[in-house]
Amino acid sequence: MNLDLARLMAALPERETDPEIVRKLGKPDAGLGEWPLPGGLVRRLSILGTLQAKLAAAWLFLWVRGWFQDAEAREQDGIETRLRLALDVLEAMSYLRGAVMKAGQFLGSLPEIAPMEFVQAFERLHFEAPPMHYALIREMLADEIGGEPEEVFAQFEREAFAAASLGQVHRARLKSGEAAALKVQYPGIARAIRADFRMILPLLLPSRLSRDGEGMRRILEYARRAVERETDYEIEAGVQERVRGLFREEDGIVVPRVFQAHSSRRVLCMELLEGIHLDGLLARGPSQAERDRWGELLMRAWYRLFYAGRMEYVDWNAGNFLFLPDGRLGLIDFGGVISFTPEEWELMRLADRPLTTGRAEDRLDFLRRWSGPMDEEKDADFIRLADAYMEWSWRPRAAGGVFDYGDGVDLRRGVDLLLEFLRRRTGRAQPCSGLITRWEFLYRGLLYRLGARIDVRRIAEEEIGAAGWDREPYRGV
Amino acid sequence: MRITAEAKQETRERILQAAKRLFREQGFDTTTTRDLAREAGIAAGTLFNYFPSKEAIALDLILRGLDRALLAHEKRAAPPGSLEEDLFGLIAADLRGLRELRPLLPPVLETCLGASRRGDGGNEGAEALRVRQLAVAGRLAERHGAGEAFSAVAQQLYWTLYTGILAHWSRDDSPRQEDTLAYLDATLEMFVEWLTRSAPARRRTP
Repeated sequence: MNLDLARLMAALPERETDPEIVRKLGKPDAGLGEWPLPGGLVRRLSILGTLQAKLAAAWLFLWVRGWFQDAEAREQDGIETRLRLALDVLEAMSYLRGAVMKAGQFLGSLPEIAPMEFVQAFERLHFEAPPMHYALIREMLADEIGGEPEEVFAQFEREAFAAASLGQVHRARLKSGEAAALKVQYPGIARAIRADFRMILPLLLPSRLSRDGEGMRRILEYARRAVERETDYEIEAGVQERVRGLFREEDGIVVPRVFQAHSSRRVLCMELLEGIHLDGLLARGPSQAERDRWGELLMRAWYRLFYAGRMEYVDWNAGNFLFLPDGRLGLIDFGGVISFTPEEWELMRLADRPLTTGRAEDRLDFLRRWSGPMDEEKDADFIRLADAYMEWSWRPRAAGGVFDYGDGVDLRRGVDLLLEFLRRRTGRAQPCSGLITRWEFLYRGLLYRLGARIDVRRIAEEEIGAAGWDREPYRGV
Repeated sequence: MRITAEAKQETRERILQAAKRLFREQGFDTTTTRDLAREAGIAAGTLFNYFPSKEAIALDLILRGLDRALLAHEKRAAPPGSLEEDLFGLIAADLRGLRELRPLLPPVLETCLGASRRGDGGNEGAEALRVRQLAVAGRLAERHGAGEAFSAVAQQLYWTLYTGILAHWSRDDSPRQEDTLAYLDATLEMFVEWLTRSAPARRRTP
């Protein structure tokens, strides 16, 4: 992965796009949207203004080019044109500015990256909306919930108290007396993101691909659909209410109630939870016992969603968790929750056997179901790598007993395995696996920062039991 | 027979109400001056004693909408914010006040309100609107210590941006015209930054 800067920058497509070529090229792919897409009116400022951002983009295009290295010269021309267009789209995706810069910083420090740098880079990979002043918030609320803040709420704080992906959060008090947190989306950003993603993905993966490439296309398409869901607060409100129903008072885990009458696709009004985020908690120097307790609550929340809700809380960003003064854990953002289809859920259940036994042959069995048929000889490298990754990923539960998430050496091993996957451009997996991998490193990163030691198997067993799942057909022991 | 000023005003009002109705029901383009005269109960030729064109009628309706918007904005108890925020509130109030007249904006902008129309002497209403908008914006600039910077050049730029925003909004098909809010936000951020940054430099110029 070590490349000199000049060679790396050469991976960026040339900037001038011949309009005639674009005209001849026509639509990128039938059924994937209109051409060209307007992409909304979120500030169209260049995001590739820094060396770090250019580095990130260069890596992306180097990686994409790898899919097409065997293409014929005629095809290469078309690919280059599409990549030039993709670069134009990427450059306009200003809501990725922070993420792209962070990714560039991260890629620039490979392969020596320390676990904490990796964690921080991963946490920053989210959308960013421009800040909104009160006059804009007032207009948004008038349009979205039918009245200005002073009319709709008993109290409304003009200054936002937190940033949210796609917008910002304000404190308010309902006329009925409840304290509320109001998440307001920047106007047009959701449509811009959806339009840009519809456009850029077919440009990056335009034509005939290998089997692995096809898998990657499905993974990216799945991610695109997840982005569409994430940008709709009405969908998020529905998920939030569903998740809220999974927890009881005694769990010590709280999901704020949604105030539907004050919510819309672009405004999400919910019960206000007062607590601190991970940085605040760590600044207080919590004892190991406190760290372990919070870690256990985090892990229990995730397993509850998984086994009782058949959902995965993918976005384990530290900003999505609140540590409340009364010892409860608050979950406050549900844009990144994926619900499994019956087919996906069946595969997830099959993972129960290797997760329980920890045996290599059970992992291999599962891999065949997850990635499709494999040739033991031709796919030996892939099998070795996938098995090493599964072993690393599942060890906290499969090994039983208390697992120390604060172990940087273990996290570094996972990072190395991930990078090896990226180097190989392996896309042979279920479409949801891209998001699950993102979760894997977000959750590992958060628990690494927390330094929690958790008996994962015990929590998993308790949650499986509480969900009433008959494991016999899957147990294998 | 002499027509009193009162009767004139009453006829003018009838024409405007008829226009508001017909423009809404059958659209601006398909409504003729003959239709408007018939709806107002006057002879076709009489209408031109009051308005030179149907675009002028639309402009009058828009000016009234903007008057109402300004009144509503001034009555609003919103506490003052930054210059950018106050200008945003002012223009957003205009858009809100014009919401039901939005379909009339494209022809009016084309014929009466374009930035290049300044000083052509062809439309007193449009010039009055320009003067009024600049006066209100100028007062806000003054309140924020940028009165001096709001020079003739800055005023022309502001007017160009203002009519550009109206033009964008008039054809904005995004949900609840949310793209225009983003456009307005970005435009004013840029304008106010330019205005406040360039002020000291201009003062230094002899």
